Amino acid sequence: MTVATATGLAATVDVAHESGSTRIGPRADAADLRVTMGEPLRLAVLVGREPANVAAAHAVALGANADLAVTLSTAGAGTLLERASALREARPNAVLVIADKGDVQGMIELVEALRLGCAAGPNTPILLVSADEKARARISASAGPLRSEAVPAPTTPSAREAIVTRLRALRRGGGDIVLRDEAIEAAARSLALANGRAALVLDVSGSSTSLALVQPDGALTAAHSRLGVGSGADRIVARSGLDRVRRWMPRPIDAPALLERVFNRARWPDAVAPSVLTLALEMSLAREAVAHLLRDSERAGLDMRAIANARWIVATGQLARFPRAAQTALVVLDALLPAGTKLISRERPDALVVAGAIATRSATDVAGMTEDLALVTSLSPKRATTVTVTDDAGAIDEKVVRGAFFLMPTTGPVQITFAGSTARETAGPLALGVIVDARGRPLELPQRDAERVPTIARWYSAVACLPIDEGTL
Amino acid sequence: MSWQYGAWTAVHRLPLGLSRYPEVGQAVRAGDIIAAGTTYGVPVRVATARRLGITPADLERVLRVSVGAEVERGALLARTGRRFVRAVSAPIDGRVVHIRADGDLELAPIVDRWIVRSTLDGTVTASDDLAVTVEGAAWALQGVAGYGPDAIGELTLVAEGASADLVPSRIDVRQRGRILIGGARGGAEAIARAHACGAAGVIAGAVPAGGLRVVFGEDVSAQGSPSRADTPTVLCLLGFGHAPLPSQIFAPLATLAGSRAAIHTESARLFVFAPADAVQLPSQPASLALVADWGALRAVDGVASQAADMTFASEVVGAAIMTADGPIPAANVKSLV
Repeated sequence: MTVATATGLAATVDVAHESGSTRIGPRADAADLRVTMGEPLRLAVLVGREPANVAAAHAVALGANADLAVTLSTAGAGTLLERASALREARPNAVLVIADKGDVQGMIELVEALRLGCAAGPNTPILLVSADEKARARISASAGPLRSEAVPAPTTPSAREAIVTRLRALRRGGGDIVLRDEAIEAAARSLALANGRAALVLDVSGSSTSLALVQPDGALTAAHSRLGVGSGADRIVARSGLDRVRRWMPRPIDAPALLERVFNRARWPDAVAPSVLTLALEMSLAREAVAHLLRDSERAGLDMRAIANARWIVATGQLARFPRAAQTALVVLDALLPAGTKLISRERPDALVVAGAIATRSATDVAGMTEDLALVTSLSPKRATTVTVTDDAGAIDEKVVRGAFFLMPTTGPVQITFAGSTARETAGPLALGVIVDARGRPLELPQRDAERVPTIARWYSAVACLPIDEGTL
Repeated sequence: MSWQYGAWTAVHRLPLGLSRYPEVGQAVRAGDIIAAGTTYGVPVRVATARRLGITPADLERVLRVSVGAEVERGALLARTGRRFVRAVSAPIDGRVVHIRADGDLELAPIVDRWIVRSTLDGTVTASDDLAVTVEGAAWALQGVAGYGPDAIGELTLVAEGASADLVPSRIDVRQRGRILIGGARGGAEAIARAHACGAAGVIAGAVPAGGLRVVFGEDVSAQGSPSRADTPTVLCLLGFGHAPLPSQIFAPLATLAGSRAAIHTESARLFVFAPADAVQLPSQPASLALVADWGALRAVDGVASQAADMTFASEVVGAAIMTADGPIPAANVKSLV
């Protein structure tokens, strides 16, 4: 595949996966750019009592795709030694210190614990201190031999971006690489710019999950985590719980057996899902990876309304590589639980990640790098209603009752209208068609396997999502 | 990774409270104590520089004890002046754990003591408050994940064979202090029994992930969880669930049974201290495959050939390896070199 950039040059990009990498571009000898996850960054956060600062620190961690190794607050209980032990166990590479006004002494207590726990050895963590000048001087004095740098208060997007840039530099090490999360953000920016509408790029790879929303004016909302459907799979289970993954499986499977599969996948880089069961597991993991990132984003105070309002959702990475387009659409739908009508697209294999990598260096043409899959309309009708879908074959009326979930295949450009409303939604040709989702929000799954499994299986078959012959799953 | 003889490095991380650590260059044997320290109770903050009327920068000049020193209640911590003496004494028995930037001392009572033992025969190459690094030659087998504290002991073959499970009934108190070689699977019951009987550790081709949760708690992950707690030591060699050991791995293990060995859980390595010529390694490396439902691993025996791309039951298209049992995705087969 050749990537044409706005400058007319065709760049060759290596995209790293879990164990190897894929080279995309005209050159065979070497790559111009390399997209990787970068070095893992273990971040400790020391914060005051102010909830806004705690949220801002977590937003920075999400923006920089850092592992939040430990968060200590001046409001938290714990002796100097307990805090020092926690910090030593956490082994942070960087420490983000955000001091509240009027609570410098509390912060100094935390920094003393940091010095006691982490000041020895050759690889001491770097402190990024957000505080007024006087407080910063006292904090730096308490930090002793630990290096410290001043950073702005992460309460504004530009300040957060500055801290994220600094943390990403730590992840980059000495290498001239493009971080995968940087590439995803740049891809979202290029898509929004090229199409003049907000673009939400949703990336799930073996070891990371990202969401990057860019508005037509260039405003960015992004969050990244080291949860993934491969080597990051066991982290999903550790953070979300096994039952949250298990609930999406379209057949009964006991928890220990599922855990075994998750653990083996986590330790087998770039493993392929050869069976329907393992594919369903990958899809379940992808749903929970995104859902967990959304929950983290909400806690970190990101603009969830903007994310919910994004009308165009583009799936990339492993999410875009499921064998059937319906699988990508269903996972995006279940993970984001969007309201209203959305267009779901997916990248052509690695194309958008490559374009994003190039976009970090120069302008890029992203035309033709995505494929529109489905127009999804989510309804919560109190009484039965009608949706009219018009395509090249004409208009079809479909009755929608509460709980309905179905796919209407289409050909050519599509228009949807709703009974009793003047609203209409349009889209170009779609690989799948229109998905009508009246399952309600939040999506409620029955607790008992006997009720839940048939429900999930019904949703899968409603969009022809799994190659299930009777008895093969 | 399969067996290798060579020079290895083991990093032994240390908790707070270090009181004794080795010099760089010191020769150690696996099992030797390389660091010792104390566990603290609730610390007491002792106003020192302020009480003495000096700046924190001058505190070091008047301190009568150093950080880490054990003191008894009433012991002199710092003193200034000759004719008009000002002094600070210890309010409790304990250790001086920290000097704060404002010139106060943190003194903590000792509630327990800890030691860290080397997991390699070799030389200390780095040593500080955080970790002691030992480098030395040994036979080593890289596992996928280690759980629990490091373990040192005699390697003992317990499983009936490479494909057999580690059966609890074969474990008793005669195996106290030994590292037990399981076969394809070491279940939670066998691990718990081994720990109760005083075995140093258990190694097996695979351990059921659910069993690991039972033994080590709900937070356990596939990446291992080294700890210093009084928990069993477990080394998963190949994966989780069930994984018969290929002969290239099991035969040397059986040959080396009776040798001194150590499990370094942080690096998930088994070190065996035997001469370099103690084992003749087979020329053909073992190949391992992840089974179709990812629930277990198996050795790829016999002739396997690379086939063209094929479509699997999941409709995923990828390169396949043809085996006697049918095609396997090439990505799900690896050579243990």
